[in-house]
Amino acid sequence: MSLDLCRGVESNLQPYLDRQLTPAEVTMIEGHLGECVYCRERYHFEARLRDTVKTVCCGDPVPEGLVDRVRLHCRGSRAD
Amino acid sequence: MADTPPTETDETPDVAETPGGASAREALDRVRFEEEALGHADQLYRIALRLSGSQQTAEELVQEAYLRAFRGWRGYRPGTNLAAWLATILRNVFLDEARKQSRRPAQESIDDTSEYYLYNHLTETAVEPQEAVLNRLSGGAIVDSLSEVPPNFREVVVLVDIGDFSYQDAADILGVPIGTVMSRLHRGRRALKQALANRASKGEPE
Repeated sequence: MSLDLCRGVESNLQPYLDRQLTPAEVTMIEGHLGECVYCRERYHFEARLRDTVKTVCCGDPVPEGLVDRVRLHCRGSRAD
Repeated sequence: MADTPPTETDETPDVAETPGGASAREALDRVRFEEEALGHADQLYRIALRLSGSQQTAEELVQEAYLRAFRGWRGYRPGTNLAAWLATILRNVFLDEARKQSRRPAQESIDDTSEYYLYNHLTETAVEPQEAVLNRLSGGAIVDSLSEVPPNFREVVVLVDIGDFSYQDAADILGVPIGTVMSRLHRGRRALKQALANRASKGEPE
């Protein structure tokens, strides 16, 4: 494992998970993740954490009839 | 802001044929609003819920946001990101409400600069694998941890991680440069990890 590469991956890991990197950066990160167990374990953990948080936080049911109530609420008003 | 009002498109509903120009336009606005904007209600509700922490408040925020959105509907430019436009209004409603209750978003600093804060913390302290700890954290612990993240960082985490907005969308919604979004996101996620780490090491009850 090369420390410089590992640091580079660490600092780009979140943008990578957010799909905000350029194709060249993605290639660099994925190449490194393929060969570095240290970074790969951390990457898997971050990805799992991200999924878990999202699943939990999007898991609340939207109140039944919300859209209907919003529609009624707006029907009492006029668009400017 | 309302430069070109939505006029004739392929999908212009019959309602435009109604006599009386003003009311026809209004009816058309309403149809378009209901068809296009209301479809984002679930996404807005989830954002509102994580911003406010209360189901009742979240619904009120969404209702008020839609009312404002409808009143300002002609300011929306067709073809631009409608979800982001609505989220901007939702956030303004949320800030107005927070201001009314004089709850001011606190600027808090967060230590430990590593992206792997939670992972490292678990590696140092836990006797079980990091993934197992993740499985053990209940949904409630995660929601509570998120609510402990300082508001100005939390809203970015909510928009990007829960609302699925891009950095650029979040920057537009918040009215800040994209670099600010990235740094707040970074700090917000770290704060979330610290809160989770505290719960994990306390061994939160099942």
